[in-house]
Amino acid sequence: MPKEIQIKVGFGDQFRDLTVRIQDDDVKPWQPGDRLNLIGQSTPRVDAVAKVTGTANYSYDQKPKGMIYGKILRSPHGNADIVSIDIDKAKKLPGVRAILTAPEIFEDESARYAGAEVAAVAADTEMQAEAALRAIEVEYDIKPHCVTVEDARKEGAPQVGRGEQVNVARISPRQRRGRRGSNSDMDERLARQEAAVGKVIQDSDVVVEGEFSTQVQTHAPLETHGSVCSWEDGRLICWASSQATFGFRNELTSNWGGVRAKSCQILSEYVGGGFGSKFSAGREGVLGALLAKEAGVPVHLMLDRSGEQLSAGNRPDSLQQMKMGVNKDGVIQGTRIRSWGTPGTGTGGAGAHNDGIYNIGEVDKIEYGVRTNTGGAKAHRAPGWPQGAFALEQMMDMAADEIGMDRVEFRKKNDEHPIRKVEYDIAKDRIKWNRSLTRNGGAEICQGLGIASNLWFSAGGGGASALVRITKDGQVEVRNGAQDIGTGTRTVMGMVVAEELGLEMNQVATRIGNTDDPQGPASGGSTTIGTVTPAARLAAFHAKKELMEIVADRKGWDASELDLKDQEVWRIGEGSTGMTFESACALMDDDAIEVLKGRPRRNYEGFSDTNAGVQAAHVEVNQATGAVKVLKVVAVADAGKILNPLTSESQVRGGVIQGVSFALFERRIMDRQKGRMLNDDFENYKMLGSMDCPEIDVVLLDVYNGKSNTQVMGLGEPPIVATAAAVANAVSDALGVRMYDLPITPKKVLEAIAKRDAAKEVPAQKKGERL
Amino acid sequence: MVSKNKNPENPEKDGVSRRSFLQGAGAAAAAAGVARIPETVIAGQNGVATPEVLGPEAESIQLKVNGADKKASAPPSTTLLDFLRNDVGVTGPKRVCDRGSCGACTVLLDGQVVDSCSMLAIDAVGKEITTVEGIGTPDNLSRLQKAFIEKDALQCGFCTPGMVVSCTALLEENPKPSRNQIREGLSGNLCRCGTYQNIIEAVEHVSRKGG
Repeated sequence: MPKEIQIKVGFGDQFRDLTVRIQDDDVKPWQPGDRLNLIGQSTPRVDAVAKVTGTANYSYDQKPKGMIYGKILRSPHGNADIVSIDIDKAKKLPGVRAILTAPEIFEDESARYAGAEVAAVAADTEMQAEAALRAIEVEYDIKPHCVTVEDARKEGAPQVGRGEQVNVARISPRQRRGRRGSNSDMDERLARQEAAVGKVIQDSDVVVEGEFSTQVQTHAPLETHGSVCSWEDGRLICWASSQATFGFRNELTSNWGGVRAKSCQILSEYVGGGFGSKFSAGREGVLGALLAKEAGVPVHLMLDRSGEQLSAGNRPDSLQQMKMGVNKDGVIQGTRIRSWGTPGTGTGGAGAHNDGIYNIGEVDKIEYGVRTNTGGAKAHRAPGWPQGAFALEQMMDMAADEIGMDRVEFRKKNDEHPIRKVEYDIAKDRIKWNRSLTRNGGAEICQGLGIASNLWFSAGGGGASALVRITKDGQVEVRNGAQDIGTGTRTVMGMVVAEELGLEMNQVATRIGNTDDPQGPASGGSTTIGTVTPAARLAAFHAKKELMEIVADRKGWDASELDLKDQEVWRIGEGSTGMTFESACALMDDDAIEVLKGRPRRNYEGFSDTNAGVQAAHVEVNQATGAVKVLKVVAVADAGKILNPLTSESQVRGGVIQGVSFALFERRIMDRQKGRMLNDDFENYKMLGSMDCPEIDVVLLDVYNGKSNTQVMGLGEPPIVATAAAVANAVSDALGVRMYDLPITPKKVLEAIAKRDAAKEVPAQKKGERL
Repeated sequence: MVSKNKNPENPEKDGVSRRSFLQGAGAAAAAAGVARIPETVIAGQNGVATPEVLGPEAESIQLKVNGADKKASAPPSTTLLDFLRNDVGVTGPKRVCDRGSCGACTVLLDGQVVDSCSMLAIDAVGKEITTVEGIGTPDNLSRLQKAFIEKDALQCGFCTPGMVVSCTALLEENPKPSRNQIREGLSGNLCRCGTYQNIIEAVEHVSRKGG
């Protein structure tokens, strides 16, 4: 039975009372004015000491007794079928203990991109494994390839896939299969929609349009994908670099790839980054587990950097055609969108979120997925959003300029988000929006400002339990089996338990990344913190209740009047009883109190279902060299209740840095002739470094959103949405010419300048003037 | 500014000469023997062509790591990084790019920063090797490590060992670096999570307190 409680929701000076129905055993969300010891205070990470001293043991660092090394052989061809694999010579080489072939394991003879897995070897040393890979003889049936969207969309382009698979498929609205007639119904509906929205746009005061493109970006976590697998009496123990420990386990106990472990434990205490690429065990996870099984000893199979860049995930590219009708009062009337992107050899998952964030009137949007012979895309920190925001935010500036309205005022006019409305003004103020700069290409070194918005939806949900254990000698531990990929989840899990029990951080031990512990979520959709922390708080609350009942029983007090604060037992409303936490624990008859609680499945009604955010960028462009320098990014962010400002700020900074890197540097470069990625390394895949890092000014808004007992929302993804868009707008502002294509390399800047200057010359020449 | 080689005019002093590394790297790729050319030959260009041939079989290699002698048997083509990680169990230095472009494997060799993935273990014989484990331990953190924790100069933590080593060397060389000098000092170390600004703040924090 749910119970009704009264809470305050809101932020800043906008609070309101709300009656919410919460799960009957749940605890009331913290309220403004509550005396909190840790929550809202910057708290160093609980695993920081291990990380700064090199004692944090990642999967890559594991070395169980008898461990040998696994390596993967990859196809060098853009598109091929594997005809045969001869492993006889390799098998006889020194140190070789197991060899597996991909067609056999995955029942798939195709190698549809350069980098596709062909075989895997386990040997005593890495050098022996590499020698064995070189000795494997593979016969390929090499087929023509397409490695770019442009090539794959061409009439008569080589087929990327197999069988009936076409290169280009409509993915939204989805092409239906099976039911006769349904596709033509859909086609008719889309035609009507196109005509109707086309008319709305045409009837608007002003029409703007543009074609925008973004590049493929690889995740490039510093710890590559892979695992160290050890079979012990039929049970698989697997140290995995994973951002979904339970998903990883479920794959290895399933039929997929034939691992079928009867019992499996995933250990991921430390994970060297994921950014969306580490949800699945992947083929490397399956091969590692099976090599270990066949070799009869533990196998270390972590990808090398090339394998990581080729096969372990990327953000799909995009080509986005946008057309927008706007009235002079600033209200957007309608928008037509067509977009294409390649998720690799499949068609799904390459959409661009270019119709979110603002009210953009009537929408006519169709998205296509394009197969190419390239490594597969994976969810990449806010999948589809940075690329969509880039196109949308360029359009917003173009439209604002066209009707002569301030670019921020124009956004406000088409935005109803209650938090973002406040965030615009903070961003404007911090970036000094109205300052005078040498804009529009007015000097060799010119500067510009740009603004863009975030949107996210991440209050968490069901699917996590936490175990809180308080021992008779006063030790406290909280456990959840999910992972911390660098976000700080482990620390906030400890914080909410310490807060609930009135303890300091160093009195609560945390255990994560172990699937023998209670279920936890994947680190996806920025939902981890909102899923794990309410479970941890709830478990701590009930453990405290049990302890208070023991104290009340022994002392003849009323348990409902007792609470824990400042490491002592308090009488609510009166103050400390003088009994310490340790002496309270010593009253237990049993060794410990253990409480396992699941997170309430539903989120409660609250202030806002989404988090917002606004970013403003200040850039400098050298018109002689085309070099862009991002001087400063103001990032105004909100994520419900800010539990740990220190790690929250780090999340935002990280999002901004990856966003700037996406805007200016990163891109997968494919060789169209050879069909292979050219920069599958860190020398030629340029990422932002310390010299390129802008000053980042983070402003965090603390929002009591009431969605759960910790009221927190995730902050991993939202801050990367706006950055590239804001940077591109700032570059356009500095140059006086629109940037349509990411990354904004010096070459593209110089081309844009040349185009701008050529356009200026045309009217001059018409007048017969000479320049 | 921290350079990977303090004495560009006299590369032999640092023991990580490009030439001996290239010799080793080529051999490593071919899993063949390593012809280790004596330093006098490289320095003097005298054309004495009787290099000492080591390997390809494993040989006993002893290195001084964080003040302790560490000995293991490994092929002479083993990189310093792989020797540390795989052969003597010092896993602070990370293998990330394996070709000297990310700095995650950074260690100090007689006080100078080097990418341990890009030199051979045998070239480090007789030198003092300091990894992140030698900068400070959980019970005895260095000031810089404490500043890293306080400023949250780490997220996933995989670049952190290299960052800590590079920043330690930077402060050793220049106790009062400007912000730009810190950026330059970090330019050989990549971080994917985006901790650069926090790291700069951590270095400045130590520097202000008198390094």
